[in-house]
Amino acid sequence: MDSVSQGLPKSIPIPAFLVNSFSLFIYTMNNYVPGGYLVIEYVKKSHHDDPYRTIVELLLFLYGVVYYLSKPKQSKKTLQNSKEKYNSLSKNEIDMLIDEWTPEAIVDDSEIVEESKWRLAKIPVMDSNGIKKYLNMTRDEGKESYKNVFNMSSNNSLALSYTSKEITDEVNKTIKNYGVGACGPAGFYGNQDVHYRLEYDLSEFFGVEGACLYGQDFCVAASALPAFNKRGDIIVADNQISLSLQNALQLSRSTLYYYEHNNMESLENLLKDINDSIASEKLPDIPRKFIVTEGLFANSGDIANLPELAKLKYKYKFRLVVEETLSLGVLGATGRGLSEFYKMNRANSIDITFGSMATAFGSSGGFVLGDRHMTFHQHISSNAYCFSASLPAYTTRIVSKTLEILRRDNSSVSKLNELSKLLHSKFMSSDELSKYVIIKSNENSPILHFELRADFREKNFEYTKEQLYEKLSILQRRGFTTMFFDEYEDEEVFLQKIVDSVLENFNILISRRQIMLKHETLPILPGIRVSVTADMTSEEVSTSADSIIQTVLELCSSL
Amino acid sequence: MSQPANDTRVPLIEPGEVSVDIKRENEFGALTSKDYLYKVKSTHGKQLKPSVFEAPPYYISLITYLNYLILIILGHLHDFFSMTFMKDKNIGLLEHDGYAPWYSKFESFYTRRMKKRIDDCFSRPTTGVPGRFIRCIDRISHDLNEYFTYPGTTTMCLNLSSYNYLGFAQSEGQCTDAAIEAANTYGSNSGGPRNLIGTTDLHIEAEKCIAAFVGKEAAMLNSMGYSTNANFFNSFLDAKCLVISDELNHTSIRTGVRLSGAAVRTFKHNDMDYLEKLIREQIVAGQPKTSRPWKKIIIIVEGLFSMEGSTCNLPALVALKKKYKCYLFVDEAHSIGAMGPTGRGVCDVYGVDPNDVDILMGTLTKSFGAAGGYIACDQWIIDKFKLDVSTVAYGESIPSPVLAQIISSLKTIIGEIHPGEGEERLQRIAFNSRYLRLGLRRLGFIVYGAPDSPVIPMLLYCPSKMPAFSRMMLQRKIAVVVVAYPATPLIESRVRFCMSASITKDDIDYLLRHVNEVGDKLYLKVSNGKSSVPEDGRPPRWTIEEVLEKTPEDCKHDEFFIEEQGLIS
Repeated sequence: MDSVSQGLPKSIPIPAFLVNSFSLFIYTMNNYVPGGYLVIEYVKKSHHDDPYRTIVELLLFLYGVVYYLSKPKQSKKTLQNSKEKYNSLSKNEIDMLIDEWTPEAIVDDSEIVEESKWRLAKIPVMDSNGIKKYLNMTRDEGKESYKNVFNMSSNNSLALSYTSKEITDEVNKTIKNYGVGACGPAGFYGNQDVHYRLEYDLSEFFGVEGACLYGQDFCVAASALPAFNKRGDIIVADNQISLSLQNALQLSRSTLYYYEHNNMESLENLLKDINDSIASEKLPDIPRKFIVTEGLFANSGDIANLPELAKLKYKYKFRLVVEETLSLGVLGATGRGLSEFYKMNRANSIDITFGSMATAFGSSGGFVLGDRHMTFHQHISSNAYCFSASLPAYTTRIVSKTLEILRRDNSSVSKLNELSKLLHSKFMSSDELSKYVIIKSNENSPILHFELRADFREKNFEYTKEQLYEKLSILQRRGFTTMFFDEYEDEEVFLQKIVDSVLENFNILISRRQIMLKHETLPILPGIRVSVTADMTSEEVSTSADSIIQTVLELCSSL
Repeated sequence: MSQPANDTRVPLIEPGEVSVDIKRENEFGALTSKDYLYKVKSTHGKQLKPSVFEAPPYYISLITYLNYLILIILGHLHDFFSMTFMKDKNIGLLEHDGYAPWYSKFESFYTRRMKKRIDDCFSRPTTGVPGRFIRCIDRISHDLNEYFTYPGTTTMCLNLSSYNYLGFAQSEGQCTDAAIEAANTYGSNSGGPRNLIGTTDLHIEAEKCIAAFVGKEAAMLNSMGYSTNANFFNSFLDAKCLVISDELNHTSIRTGVRLSGAAVRTFKHNDMDYLEKLIREQIVAGQPKTSRPWKKIIIIVEGLFSMEGSTCNLPALVALKKKYKCYLFVDEAHSIGAMGPTGRGVCDVYGVDPNDVDILMGTLTKSFGAAGGYIACDQWIIDKFKLDVSTVAYGESIPSPVLAQIISSLKTIIGEIHPGEGEERLQRIAFNSRYLRLGLRRLGFIVYGAPDSPVIPMLLYCPSKMPAFSRMMLQRKIAVVVVAYPATPLIESRVRFCMSASITKDDIDYLLRHVNEVGDKLYLKVSNGKSSVPEDGRPPRWTIEEVLEKTPEDCKHDEFFIEEQGLIS
């Protein structure tokens, strides 16, 4: 090794350990590493040809080492800022800041909340007779009590789950064989034969390729739709969709557009614009495009125009998503929903259908219908399906049995349609009523919605839909936790007075539209809903409709 | 049955013709000896020593990565040929007629090309009660799990897969009777949302029972556990609030928080020092950009983490929460009913006053054999939630048979009906969990989790060992759940045994023998002894006979669990 250091110019002071380790390296490379001498030869040759290159490469190597050893920098700027701020303060200063910080209460505890609490006392509580045509109920922690109340508030439109002995027997039998809970998510032994059977039954009944079950109807859309969407996808939605769809759109992270409620012209213009702008952007992939609407609107009771929607969806290459929570089992001659109502084929017209087992089918849970690719993907990537326990076995049997009954005998559906029309005609035929309230519901909707006429509201409660929406949006943007508007509250109180009066004088249960303003991101108004179920008789519906109309007239005219 | 032998649809299985005694025994095995009970001790406000998450030897990690590498390469090859030559089969993945694909090729790669290969280990259809034994419907896989056929036969398997912690999944006994009676009187429909028409006196009773059980003023029910979380946080959090969340929190919590728009920071699982630092930093720094102070800070943890079997460090969390004026939300989906001296969940384990936790959430699917979830907190907060939580006004209410099951199982646990039975169930699950955990550790497996936790994850690491383990266990008539990425970190594939009070000590012996045998064949005994109490400095590799002889007694003692050796106050 001495020979190496002798070969070096004396004037450059190189530390001995560098020289030693370098020569040791060359020595090992030459003698012990197979093929090592080739590397040395190569380096020597390249150094000989171009000495500067060696320097550059050496510097590059050193830079690599320095880079590797340096601390990774925080990628998020905001995080870095908060760290910087934190580090710049002394411990005492930090402790002082922490002491000073006073958080808000976990939920709003202001007086305003107390003022809206009257709603809690108005929630009806049924006794062991259950939720049937006639029910016994109490309110306000048992302070008010009513017997044999005529129930015009239920969503269980077909009422088969308690009128059909076949179904009640099946429930008993299933609980005797399966117990209650399924005790596991679908992927982990939670799906029993009855769950699979219901998926087959649903897809057969509605004429689609597949179905996917969920534990609760409200979370179906919010889990199923985001499974397909990501940033950059496009959703065009009706501007009166219900909250479950609003949540779904929020979670889907897609670009949102709203069209005027049931206005096909507005939709077509929007679709055209969207397609034009996509074409001009020249994206490498086509984005997923969806039209989202409801079958029977939960907030008004009117019906989507499926033939037109299907035409537009084909024309502009969109996929159609319809939330049919309230229309399956109700619309169409045999209860097959919106597509049957327009005498169309579900598989050709609607790509994704969200349904509920808790409404017309009288059980609990929800489901999605669609083609096999769609359901395959649901089964593997929808959060509420994969990470949540399967439904209790008996709930699936109720629906399977209901479908079986509907297949051979559609009398309950036709009866329901008849009653819906009767209720609707009763309300529409009163000229006096139309001075105060407006009815937007379709005659086929078993739930009739009415709300105060705009001019009547403005006169008595001094606000309009637009004003309410504007105020609401401002508060939401500012991040207010509690939404409280005096004029809205006054109207709610007035509507509750109608509900109470109908209950006290005629023993009929109707209800205010349930709205949580805090969550609603679209314009919405208070209203009253009256519903019929298939086990009622025409006389019952007719006389109760008269009683309700009479009460509304009395109270509205006395305002 | 008229089912053709090669049907591709799951057949509806008729219940077997067995006597009531055998049926009862199949659903809930009778206790064989009083020795096989263990009364859980509360730590009285002290912390357990943190669990050791043992790292595998380097060669195991290396092999696991290699394993994935091969799978990924093969998967891409497979994809290439499939997309080129079999376009029809992949229509969901490809653009067609101007429509975008249903889902992304890249995002679904893992499920299509890796999970699909072992699909026969997931979603096994079952029938009947998921009790001590579970009746799995036989199926035959074709074309690498492309489709299955069902010959119409079933196999009874020992059930270590269901969340049937206290064994209330039964078709006999007080709970079933109550459920049937409720179905006959109240009806089995729900009618509509809670605030509209869906409330019965049974709901009020169930809520009172739950509130009393968890030690809070009031409770609120929801018909689905997932949605209880997913539709909860947006009722009281907004973009000016901060959520500090354990990195292993369940998807439902993440979805719920995302819906609320609140800012989120995560902390490493159970790392209390980092959590404290994070809280201090966030209080000082405030909201990003505006630097205004946060409106409120809420710490969200789970009581018992479902994939690790570890409990949250509640005493430390409560101390931090009090010190920094934060709020604490504990999701007790797995721990309620299953843990603690009286089954009252993680508060009970640590002897923490439930009032020190602001919001307790839990599900009723698991320990109670029912369905749905609850939120429990002070009355005035619940009153506000009833006006603000969206499911109350828009989602359906819990149907009565489920409520009856909840009430009767809760009353059994607290001893109001069938006194002594609830206590026995609690002591059985505690013994079973400790016995299996200690037994597996002594055999040399890497097992995560707190001593009393009924979730017992045993690490497999290699993805290829998952199907092997699951299939070999199925041959031995044991139903187990194997889990991998994305539910766990990529290399930590595991099998998760869910213990139940319905399982007897003999069943665990049977299980241990078979796991031991399969573990030898699959080379799963790789523990270096760091996560268990050291015995003469060597990694534990007991023989099965030794384990079966000594563990049933040893597992009742603290000194054999590293977590219980000396509590930290």
